[in-house]
Amino acid sequence: MSQLLLFNVTNGLIIGAFYVLMALGLSLILNLSNVINFAHGGFLVAGGYIAYTITPYVGFWGALLVAPLVTAAIGLAVERVLIRPLYGRDPLYGLLLTFGLAFIFEDGTRFIWGAQGKPVTIPAFLAQPLSDELFFITGYRLFMVVMVAVAVGLLFVLLRYTRLGIRIRAGTLDLETVAALGINVGMLRSLNFSVGVFLAGLSGVLAAGQLGLEPTMGAGLLMPSFIAIIVGGVGSLLGTLLGGLLIGVASGVTAVFFPQASEAIMYVMMAVVLLIRPRGLLGEEGMMT
Amino acid sequence: MASHRISDNVSRRVLLKGAAALSGLQVASPFIIRARGETSVRVGMVDPMTGVYAAVAQNEVSGAKLAVEQINAKGGILGRPVELLVEDSANDVGTGVQKTRKLIERDEVPFIIGDVNSGIAQAMAQVTAEKKTLHIVAGGHTDGITGKDCKWNVYRVCNTTRMEANSVSDLLFTKYGKKWHFVTPDYAFGHTLQEACAENLKKLGGTVTGNELTPLGTSDFSAYLIKARAAKPDVLLLLVQGSDMVNCLKQIVQFGIDKQIHVAGTQQELESLNALPAEARIGVWMFEWYWKQPNTPHLAEFVADIRKRTGGKVPTARTWFGYTAMYSLALVANREKTLDSVKLAQALGDFELPAEVKLQPNKCYYRKGDHQLMTSAFVGEALPKGAGDPEDLFRVDTIVAGDKTSPAVSETGCTLQWPA
Repeated sequence: MSQLLLFNVTNGLIIGAFYVLMALGLSLILNLSNVINFAHGGFLVAGGYIAYTITPYVGFWGALLVAPLVTAAIGLAVERVLIRPLYGRDPLYGLLLTFGLAFIFEDGTRFIWGAQGKPVTIPAFLAQPLSDELFFITGYRLFMVVMVAVAVGLLFVLLRYTRLGIRIRAGTLDLETVAALGINVGMLRSLNFSVGVFLAGLSGVLAAGQLGLEPTMGAGLLMPSFIAIIVGGVGSLLGTLLGGLLIGVASGVTAVFFPQASEAIMYVMMAVVLLIRPRGLLGEEGMMT
Repeated sequence: MASHRISDNVSRRVLLKGAAALSGLQVASPFIIRARGETSVRVGMVDPMTGVYAAVAQNEVSGAKLAVEQINAKGGILGRPVELLVEDSANDVGTGVQKTRKLIERDEVPFIIGDVNSGIAQAMAQVTAEKKTLHIVAGGHTDGITGKDCKWNVYRVCNTTRMEANSVSDLLFTKYGKKWHFVTPDYAFGHTLQEACAENLKKLGGTVTGNELTPLGTSDFSAYLIKARAAKPDVLLLLVQGSDMVNCLKQIVQFGIDKQIHVAGTQQELESLNALPAEARIGVWMFEWYWKQPNTPHLAEFVADIRKRTGGKVPTARTWFGYTAMYSLALVANREKTLDSVKLAQALGDFELPAEVKLQPNKCYYRKGDHQLMTSAFVGEALPKGAGDPEDLFRVDTIVAGDKTSPAVSETGCTLQWPA
């Protein structure tokens, strides 16, 4: 039993790492633009299907780079045309818009690529388990974790050490002052949105290799990401990281004892956190209304 | 990493409202097709055109549409053209019931077909019985529909879960071993299918090492698979369907579990095999219908007709379900020369499908006692690559007649109560 538990904790961390990647993109957009991006799952699906489409021409590694960039470009267009006019209005406007976009993405995917799922082939050397004992850690899952770690590291560097990142952080704290200092806030929001959508696109490519492609896959992966943000603390990227890993582990451990509740446990965790520490584990007091 | 403040006007409450709204994403649904005519006979079809069963539902609709074209070319029903009204249940019970009511009350359809999802099909049956509307469940498998919850107005085309279990249990036991572990979808279909398999296994003298109940729409099965492997079964039976089957099989192969444990199941579908990479097309299964059968009359024409309409894709079992359900209604209505639901429901009892509709070698008829179609099980093995045709992904070893896989009516728990 202890070995089984250890397996599932490790496995939960791997799953959680994936939620982290999704949730970080969501969190970035929420923090600066106040947009609860329900279309994030749609961007994930778009990233996966774009990778599927271009893989025959650019290969898996090319698709891993190009597909998130194309997705980010789509995100940029969506932000400029549809989301920008809603800044300054009640956040529910943005929520409803992205809610509708999620439908459009799903039906659009079904229209273009069909309702039937698509198989995605990953490089053969990544498709093998590490060993017979650690069969659940395949090269690809390990690769996913490395990719998440790299993405988180790069995001940290971007936010901490680059002019763009410092402006994003400043804008998150006080957008009006940032604007008063002459920074182009519109551009800042667009770039920030694109970075968030890039992470969704990257998640899509990684998920496609792991799960295959299906038009509805975005909705299923989006909810845990929202929970990761709420558990970790809205407004805290570190909290998002922690939240994603925690719900992944909780889900994995629950599957050992009570499999039926392995999904419900995430919601239970969210409820408990909201009751005991409403601002989330690493959310700061007074950060939310 | 620094914490970042969000604006005062985004509250946790808004985020939670959003999360709640997300869970409703699958409820809203679009109308699919409309072609109205004043004198037509309308047939309502409710299927999950969106959600995890969208691919199979679309194939059912595709089969029903072909049937409508052919029926209309032969003069329709009682000389009137047939019109198919398709509604999306969005894989949600409430939506399915609402769409069924709308079709019966507003569109005044005399016939209903649907749903792929057993839970929705059962809920729809409550409505159609209340409204005295003839209803054919084309692709919802749970036993209750033609078992303890059977209704005078409800017929079913696809196999029951008991028939599915009976078609492969002996083979799996003798060929692969006596310790079985299940991965089961946590709803009506999965529960009855697992119970039937477990019961068969017990009779054969085997043991169940575990049953992983997985929520519908599970994307990551690794936690369940770790547990299943630790139980050291001889056979890992996958009872999940749709995209769940695809995800589960793919992960099994990635983990190399198929090298240690035999992977098999009951119902397998061409839609799932098509969505899998070649290395994950493994295992012994039963198909409910297959597009490649030697010497079956009219099969080649059916396959060609579907291919013409689907850009070269072959018909699947789901296509045949939709086709058969639609044809059954038209054939019986034309034979009885009425649209009266009670008369037609009585006439469908023991109604035998003609060769151009049954498209299989064995006799195929609706059983009078429980309204279940006695249709064959195509037992065989998944193929990594199509031999001769990229969609020939299954090798049929045996075709077992429905009479052989179905329990006797007395064992189904069905007692039909006819309206006074």
